[in-house]
Amino acid sequence: MRQDGTAVDLPAFGALLESAVDGAFSIALRYTRNRSDAEDLVQEAALLACRGFHSFTPGSNFRGWFYRILTNCFYSNYRRERTRGIEVELEDAPELYLYEETAALGLHHRTNDPASLLIEKLTGEQVEAAIGALPDEHRVVATLYFLEDFSYQEIAEVVGVPVGTVRSRLHRARHMLQKALWAIAKEKGVVSELTGITDQGV
Amino acid sequence: MDLPARLTCEEVFERLDDYLDRELTADQMRLVREHLETCAVCASEHRFEASVITGVREKLSRIAVPEGLRARISALLAKETGQDGSA
Repeated sequence: MRQDGTAVDLPAFGALLESAVDGAFSIALRYTRNRSDAEDLVQEAALLACRGFHSFTPGSNFRGWFYRILTNCFYSNYRRERTRGIEVELEDAPELYLYEETAALGLHHRTNDPASLLIEKLTGEQVEAAIGALPDEHRVVATLYFLEDFSYQEIAEVVGVPVGTVRSRLHRARHMLQKALWAIAKEKGVVSELTGITDQGV
Repeated sequence: MDLPARLTCEEVFERLDDYLDRELTADQMRLVREHLETCAVCASEHRFEASVITGVREKLSRIAVPEGLRARISALLAKETGQDGSA
């Protein structure tokens, strides 16, 4: 029962929630970097959304509305200090980081698509680790961008910040992500493997 | 704001992220595209950055909701709304 005494239309809410729960869990997992916390976060967001369902405008974007609740809930209750899993400083990542590194390695002379050559050698878990290494605010926008292919405006509505803030955070996140990807590629021997490729030719 | 007839490499570089994300106006998109058609260095940088974005997206997959989570949410909501028979 809601505070105004009217009952929540649980079947209607449940149907909308069902359409969003898969995406919500995938996002929650990247936000929290922890399956148990991700499950708790989705459950808590579902409860808050149910309580606030009267404020949802029928026919509007439920997924965006629910992701906003999920994101607010993450910022309020699930931000954790955690080791980032890589030992490099990401804050100073310049633009075109991977472009410059792969060029220095000689990959640009060997293939028309050096970025694919590098990333195809990384596992999904390694790419996840690179995203997981981003600071919270950058990881949130990067998650919505890479997983959901949201526009800047859509991300702004979910996160509750101006579009310009999304733009700067996302651009920064991509630079940091490239540095993290390179650090992981070096640590996991992918760069050495590519060096072997460049020595021998592709 | 008046747009120039063409963009320099530096101007394209400043707009590259927004161009990749299709977040420029139609006129700005056209100016960047025209530059990329004639500048091998900027085109190479653009191809590389686009390929990184595509590659990362392809590595990230939707992860199935754990077994039992839907049921736990349903039970939680039923209890919250008094529709679990306990009201």
